[in-house]
Amino acid sequence: MDAFVTAFGLVFTPQVLWVISASAAFGMFVGAMPGLTATMATALIVPVTFFMDPVPALGAIVTATAMAIFAGDIPAALLRIPGTPASAAYTDESYAMSKKGLLDLNLGVNLVFSVIGGMVGVAILILCAPILAEAAINFSSFEYFWLALLGLTCAVFMATDDPLKGITSLMFGLLINCIGIDPTAGYPRFTFGSVELLQGVSFIPAMIGMFALSELLRGAVSIDQQGAVLAQKIGNIFSGVWGVFKQYWFNFLRGSTLGVAIGALPGAGADIAAWISFAVSKRFSKTPEKFGTGHIEGIVDATSANNAALGGAWIPALVFGIPGDSITAIVIGVLYMKGMNPGPTVFLQNPQFIYAVFIIFVLANILMLPLGWTAIKSAKQILRVPRKILLPIILLFCMVGAYAMTNSPYGIIVMLTLGVIGWLMEENGFPIAPAILGLVLGEMLEQSFMTSMIKAEGHALPFFERPIAGVLGVLTLLIWATMIWRGIKGRGGLQEADITGA
Amino acid sequence: MRANDAVSGLVLILLAAAMIAFTSTFPDFPGQHYGPALFPRILGGVVIACGGLLLWRGVAARRAGAALVEMAPWTREPWRVGSFVLMLGLLVVYILFAETVGFIPMAFVTALALFMWFGVRPLTAVGTSVVATLVIYWFFATLLRVPLPRGWLDPIL
Repeated sequence: MDAFVTAFGLVFTPQVLWVISASAAFGMFVGAMPGLTATMATALIVPVTFFMDPVPALGAIVTATAMAIFAGDIPAALLRIPGTPASAAYTDESYAMSKKGLLDLNLGVNLVFSVIGGMVGVAILILCAPILAEAAINFSSFEYFWLALLGLTCAVFMATDDPLKGITSLMFGLLINCIGIDPTAGYPRFTFGSVELLQGVSFIPAMIGMFALSELLRGAVSIDQQGAVLAQKIGNIFSGVWGVFKQYWFNFLRGSTLGVAIGALPGAGADIAAWISFAVSKRFSKTPEKFGTGHIEGIVDATSANNAALGGAWIPALVFGIPGDSITAIVIGVLYMKGMNPGPTVFLQNPQFIYAVFIIFVLANILMLPLGWTAIKSAKQILRVPRKILLPIILLFCMVGAYAMTNSPYGIIVMLTLGVIGWLMEENGFPIAPAILGLVLGEMLEQSFMTSMIKAEGHALPFFERPIAGVLGVLTLLIWATMIWRGIKGRGGLQEADITGA
Repeated sequence: MRANDAVSGLVLILLAAAMIAFTSTFPDFPGQHYGPALFPRILGGVVIACGGLLLWRGVAARRAGAALVEMAPWTREPWRVGSFVLMLGLLVVYILFAETVGFIPMAFVTALALFMWFGVRPLTAVGTSVVATLVIYWFFATLLRVPLPRGWLDPIL
């Protein structure tokens, strides 16, 4: 209880509240601008949070991402362009509603259900994380090895349409992580005599490159293609929302629980949560024929799910140090930089810090209501900001942000290199998220693997002897076996993926 | 630029093989069976396997008539290619010269060049470049104390 009071004291200071408000506005803007994603918002805000205490730093990230995920719904309804990938699942549906004259109701539903979906996410995070942490306290290197491997497995198989390219991308991330001093023997690997590579490839510049620079490169070649805003007046967005809630409360509950669960799976974040819950909504709807004609039902599911997923993603991140999505992957990087290694011990040693994250999450969701309303009301002005002005400014931010992480041009070099690689990967259908997870989890995976190998003296059996490790190990191997079997079975002829993936 | 999976696969196999060869220079520690080379070698093995599968898949697609390398439609429009090259080029120039010339002039030039290329009106372009550069400098260098290079402007800053 003391920790809880301390946490309140940590959060409710003028500085933290100021940071939260500023990052909320920032998140709203980035989310509402098509082509700028929530992950990009995080990557851009991290260099700034680097100079803050842990609580305001995490507060900034939590708030900015929560706002960005909601704000992505606004251009979906007005322009038929999702502001963030998390809104892509129901962009067509939203736009169809706007064309039917239901723009106000659509935006109102998106805002209100984002807020309460986010609240469900936080509630489950608050309930589950401490319980899991208690169980995780007894984990040894075997459990962590399987946990990390299981996380990466999920990331590859559940979060990508092309597992082969997913694995390749993951391996790329893990290999990048091998650069620098190795965690068991302390031998400098692949540094080629460079002093800067000794500490490894700087994580934040790498993120900025892969998530922001690659996006800017894509934006630069389509700079003149800005959507035309729908010429509808935005009225009272809250009228009719209560009616929708009464009719579709079950969809809301289903969407948000599904969202939390998917968010908690490593590698799968808000965007996949939205896609799956939208599909589930259609599958179990009494009126599936209305989907696609501007029907609110699927939107309720999906818009609750993507905000709920944010909270879900923090569960494995805080408890095990395994990110639930690419945003929490960045968060874990930040935590390590702050010297707070995520994992069950944080719950024992620094519970006030965990509670502070919970409080900020709740606060961010409350704040979303008035700020979201403001964003909706000023949407037309926001969407009129020309991309040709915005892109060069973001490029400057990327440069300075990457520089600030190393205080040398080395950061910018890392950003540039990984930005180009990230761009090439996306162009060729290699998903970026597994690479980032590999980069974050690589050290944990290698360290737990090496420790376990040394403890087990190279035998396989000890990896399965402890009960939880055994279950996790068998589960991981089962997923791999299923996937390989499916791959062999589906290899009869040339698959669709082969042609499009060529 | 979309390369056939066979191309990606081949590149991956070559890179992984080179990397595995390089790990043989890593030292062994007496009494320790598992040294710094083990983990990268395992990863390299997986990459080679993935590369092989990609190669196989790419060859199959090639037989079905897919191109070896396919360029995106925007690459046929010089202006768009220019935007792409300019953005990367400006970054390289910044990396090379920022330490001597300083952040403020370099950032100004970077922003201005992109604005002009994208077709922003000259007056707006100059104004926005000045404001953006100074605001970013103030925020990072003054507020957050990032030692952004001062360069030529060192005497007056």
